[in-house]
Order: sequence, then structure tokens, then C-alpha cells
Amino acid sequence: MKKAAYSFPEEVLEHVFSFIISDKDRSSISLVCKSWYEIERWCRRKVFVGNCYAVSPPILIKRFPELRSVTLKGKPHFADFNLVPEGWGGFACPWIRAMAGAYPWLEEIRLKRMVVSDESLEIIAKSFRNFKVLVLSSCEGFTTEGLAAIAANCRNLRELDLRESEVEDLSGRWLSDFPDSYTSLESLNISCLGNEVNLLALERLVSRCPNLKTLRLNRAVPLDRLPNLLRGAPQLAELGTGAYTSEMRPDVFSNLAEAFAGCKQLKTLSGFWDVLPSYLPAVYPICSQLISLNLSYATVQSPELIKLVSLCEKLQKLWVLDYIEDDGLEVLAASCKDLRELRVFPSDPFGLEPNVALTEQGLVSVSEGCPKLQSVLYFCRQMSNAALNTIARNRPNLTRFRLCIIEPRSPDYLTLQPLDDGFGAIVEHCKDLRRLSLSGLLTDRVFEYIGTYGKKLEMLSVAFAGDSDLGLHHVLSGCDNLRKLEIRDCPFGDKALLANAAKLETMRSLWMSSCSVSFGACKVLGQKMPRLNVEVMDESGPPDSRPESSPVEKLYVYRTVAGPRLDMPGFVWTMDDDSALRIS
Amino acid sequence: MEEMVMGTLDLITASPHSSSSSSSSPTTDNNNNNNHPSSSSSISTRRTDLSTDLRLGLSLSPSHYSTPSSREQRSSFDWPPVKSTLRCTLVEKSQISHFVKVYMEGIPIGRKLNLLAHHNYHALVKALANMFRTTILCPNSHQLPLISGNNVHVLTYEDQEGDWMMVGDVPWEMFLTSVKKLKITRADRC
Repeated sequence: MKKAAYSFPEEVLEHVFSFIISDKDRSSISLVCKSWYEIERWCRRKVFVGNCYAVSPPILIKRFPELRSVTLKGKPHFADFNLVPEGWGGFACPWIRAMAGAYPWLEEIRLKRMVVSDESLEIIAKSFRNFKVLVLSSCEGFTTEGLAAIAANCRNLRELDLRESEVEDLSGRWLSDFPDSYTSLESLNISCLGNEVNLLALERLVSRCPNLKTLRLNRAVPLDRLPNLLRGAPQLAELGTGAYTSEMRPDVFSNLAEAFAGCKQLKTLSGFWDVLPSYLPAVYPICSQLISLNLSYATVQSPELIKLVSLCEKLQKLWVLDYIEDDGLEVLAASCKDLRELRVFPSDPFGLEPNVALTEQGLVSVSEGCPKLQSVLYFCRQMSNAALNTIARNRPNLTRFRLCIIEPRSPDYLTLQPLDDGFGAIVEHCKDLRRLSLSGLLTDRVFEYIGTYGKKLEMLSVAFAGDSDLGLHHVLSGCDNLRKLEIRDCPFGDKALLANAAKLETMRSLWMSSCSVSFGACKVLGQKMPRLNVEVMDESGPPDSRPESSPVEKLYVYRTVAGPRLDMPGFVWTMDDDSALRIS
Repeated sequence: MEEMVMGTLDLITASPHSSSSSSSSPTTDNNNNNNHPSSSSSISTRRTDLSTDLRLGLSLSPSHYSTPSSREQRSSFDWPPVKSTLRCTLVEKSQISHFVKVYMEGIPIGRKLNLLAHHNYHALVKALANMFRTTILCPNSHQLPLISGNNVHVLTYEDQEGDWMMVGDVPWEMFLTSVKKLKITRADRC
């Protein structure tokens, strides 16, 4: 009988639900029955919107009237590599305006790859009394004036994180806008700012906030000011230095070493711009407590760097340039048995010849020596099927594997064969693989492997690979958990796309650029799938000015309940019913 | 859906098109795929140069997809996939400094000099002459040393192939890319 659903009073259910935090679980709860849906939506406090165009502010607000935390992502991932032209979209303003009206008690806003204006920041600063967390990750469109508004008005701010955002840095004065009475800062990341901030204001801010755990400085903070800052915050757990260089003076070094030694809780280090290797030993005393080290900006080859790494016996995460070379990675493999994540970036991505002795061997060593290795991002210039096979067998626990062989379509350098079998071994042995990026010479075969074995795969990035539509078809029909697929410069066309159109509704998004998808097929897709937004990007003019069989420059398809978006710039055309008819 | 797809494809492929970049052709001619990768210098591919597509697509070996000369100035914005923050730091680093070792004949301890701090040979020679307190003959100068002896030097460099060459014969920019080391040798030795 109906009574079963009401066997607990609402308050009890609400209380039980409050222990469920994962979005997936919350979603499952809401599907049980209507009353659970109702109770759940009123007590949902946190929402993650992976694609800001998949839903609209009114729809979100209508369903979840009492949110405290909202996360939104805007541009497609390939925007990080300049594949998405300026003005594409991802505007935060409509969201922030709407939330300002609907959620006066909102505490957290996290945005990624969105365009945020100073006006939006001012709205945030003035609308939310209890605002605590602002994370702007790879965002753009705002200046230090917007930051000033946040600093001046958000009395309860805990976290201000501008990671990798593009900020128009008008003046470092904004930091002084934090009132003297403000002491609740816990996390500050200004590493992306170009200009100098007011150092005195920074020092005072840091020393009066006893809960400050994360401090990531920008390059403009000189090294000789670092000791003072550290002394003001000995409880720091995460530090990003500024420029790690200065005139060699013994007092600077000893000051620095002493200050570092005083930070007993320091677990994470980053920064190290312009690193002067002779200053690295200042960090040695705390290496044994470090779990995360980001040396991606340490653009210098030096034995001190490798020594540093070898002392970090508890290291779980290392991001480093390929200056570390195979030798350094061997040392890493021998010293850091707790390593979970390794990223090796190219120091000379545009050079034709290798500038460092980093090959596939480095990665093989780490796969052998680090039993907990789960996540890999590796740039190199040569790879072999044998090496990939070894890595796969060594580390079946890999969950993220991103390999970038710098020269497109590079074959196995030993056999000159495609790298299909190597990547095939990766997907076959690493049964929990969730994220994969391919590179090198690859035929449709690799996609057959991926479709067959990549059952847990959620995100796949493909470039310069494959022979035909069959490749794309294998992936779309085989990867049951695929959410995001991004493809560039592959010979994939209409057939596979249209044959797997329904699959696209089960995914967050599909990106295809410089492929062979025709304008006609895009129109068909847009017409037949009303719950998908099919957007064609073409900077050379309207796609209907060319034959229907012409391939489109860029295609971005995503599922949505909000219909076609209304804020498209001139080079984006949507292939929904109306417009498709209008164009033809 | 399959029928619709095939029907639509007939419609699409029925219209004459010379573009061989569509891979929806019924014949599985996998090798004749003309989907040439975007040229390294463009941000977004332009599909207008079909003749290039055809020409390049006809070859089967991977090495044809890009020739070394076309990759000379690889300043592509979108490959390899490196985020702009890192990209800028690396480019800046490669631009700001290019330190090379400089030895003077007879002196075992060398110096280091940032070549990029100078804009031409003249400035370089001047800086070195100051650093080592000697007279260095300008490259390409035809003057014979009026004073013979050991206080007149010429500038030589080691190139990427390991050969020692006289500084000044090639354009400055080319010199920058090929120089590995500098040596100030006595003029009467050359």
C-alpha cells in the first residue's frame, strides 16, 4: 500500500539523506519515488554541473531551491589548447545573477573554463552574506578590480583560488582591500597573477589568518620575502613559492632553509619559477614530509632537482619537466614507493630533435618501481609496443593514462609498426582505466581494443589516429561508461556518428575537430536528436555557404535539457530543428 | 536508424564532390584516407586546399604526413597539447637566455655569456672584449692586425656538428641556433 513511502516522517528521511553526499547517490535517491524526489531536492546542498549548457539557471533553481554550493564547467577541455575560439561562450554572468536572487545563503562557487566578468564578481561580493569559497579554475574575463570587490566584502571568505585563470592584472592593490579585521582565510592561490601584489599587505594578511593552510604565491613574489611569509604561517600545509631565484647570498639561503624547516606541516610544494638550483637544498630538510611536488615551472636541468626528488620518500604526486630524464625517473622509481601520480611535461615542445634524454624507458622504470602508480601524463618523443605492454602488465591498477608522443603519427620506434597493440595492452590489463589519451601511429585496431576492453572508460582523447569510421564506431558502441570523447584530426565521418546517435545522449559531450563529418550529417543529427545540442563551429563563414558534403571545421555535441543556447557567437551554428530548416 | 543513415548517406554522397576527405565512402579503402593532419602553423584547419589533401593522402607511409622542412618553425598553438601557462613559461625561457660557455686561449677557467642579451655580432664582440680585457677582431673585418703579438684575438665557435668555425660568416640568427661554445683564440693562430 501507499503507506510504505511515508513510513518515516520527512525530517527523518532528510536527516538520512544528509549523509549521502555523492551526486550519483543523490541522483539514485531522487529516482526512488516522487516523495523521495521532493524531499531530496529540498535538502540538496551541493550541485555539480559538468556542462553549463546542459541545464539552465531557472531549471536548476526550480529543482534545487536551497543550494549552498554550485560547481559549473563551461568550455570544452580542448579550449586549454587553443582549439576553441575566443568568444565561444561559457559565460558565468547569467548563472551568477540568477543565483544571487535565488540563493542568498550560497557559500561556494566553483567555476572551470568559464568567462567571469568583474561585474559578476561584484555581484558575488554583494549578494551572499555567508560566502566562503570562490574557485576560478582556468577562467578569464575579470580583472583585479573584481578581486578587490571580493576582498572588501566577503567577511567570511575561506578560500580564494584563481588557479590557471587569465586575470587582467591592473594593480596589486586589491589585496589591501581585505579589512584588518578579516582573519578567516584558509586558502589563497594567486599563482596566475602577473604583477606584484602589495607585499606588505600580503605579509600582514598571512600572519593574521591562523587557519591559513594553502598559500600559492605568484611569480612576482621575490624569494627573499618568502622566509617572512613562512614565519607568519608555520601551520601551512601547501605552499607555492614565487620566483625561486635571487642573487646568491649566504644569508638568503640560510634564512630560507630555516623558514622551511619551521613549517612542520608542509606537505605540498609548487612554484619554483626561474629556479636557481643552488637554492633547492633549502628545501631538503622538509622533503621527507612532502606528499606532492609540482616542479613544472622549474625550467632547469640540475642534479639538485633529482636529489630533491630522491629525498621525498613519502611522495605521492610529482609533476616535473622532462629535464628529469630517464635517469631521474629511475631514481624516482627507487625512492618514492608511494607514488600515485606522475606528470612529465615537455621542456621543448616545439623542437624537432630531443633536447633531453627522456624516452619510454623512464616511464617503464616508474611503472616497475612504484606499485601504487595510478595516474600518468607523459610527454615523450619515442614509444614502443613492448614498453606499453610492460607498463600495462606492471601496473594494472592504472586509472588514468595519458601519453603524448610529440610528433603526430609516430610509429613504434623499434618495429615501425603502429602502437595499436601497446595501447591495446593498456586497456586490456588496466581494467579500471577511466581516462585515456592516445598518440602515435594508430589504426582502427586500437579502437577495436578500446571498444572491447575499455568498459570503465569515461574520457577518451584522440588525435591524428585511426583509418575510418570503424574506429569511431568501435568506441561509441563498445565503451559503456563513456562520458567525454574528444577527437581531433582523425578520419572519422558521418557513418559512425549517425549510427551511434543515441549513444550521444548517454554522454556529457563529444568534440570533433578537423575530422570528416559533413555539414549535412550534422543537420541530420540535430534534427533527429532534440535532446542534443549539435553545434558547428566554422570561422570561415556559414556552413551552408558550402556543399552539404563539406566537412565542418569543429563539431561540439552535448546533451541538454535546456534546448539550444542563445548566446552563440557568429562562428557557431546550432543544428536544431528550426535553424536547420532556416539554413536550408 | 541504420536505414535512415544509409538513405541519408546516399543523399549526401550523391552530390558530386571532389573532396576525398569524407571517409563515408562505401569502399573500405583505408589506405587512401586523405584526412591530412592540420598543418602545424594554423590554429584551425582550413579545408580549402583539396589538392594538397589529395597529394599528401596518396602516400601510404606515415613519414609523408609531414616533411621536416614544413615543421621547421613549429610554433603551433594547438599541438602538442600543452596549457598556455606552461607554454608561455617555456617559450619565454627559451627566448630570454641562451647562455654559452666562453673560453679564452690560455685561461683554463671559462665564463658564461647570454647570447640573447646581444643583438648582433658587433655587440657580442664588444661584450667579450670587455669581459676578457683584450682586443677581438670584428668578424669580416679585413684589417690586418697592425700589432702582432698575443693581445689580439679572434672569436671562434663550436657548432652543433662539433666543428670549430670563425664567428661572423653566417647571419646572426643562424649563428644563434648553431653555436654551442665560444672560444677566443689568438689571431696569429688562425
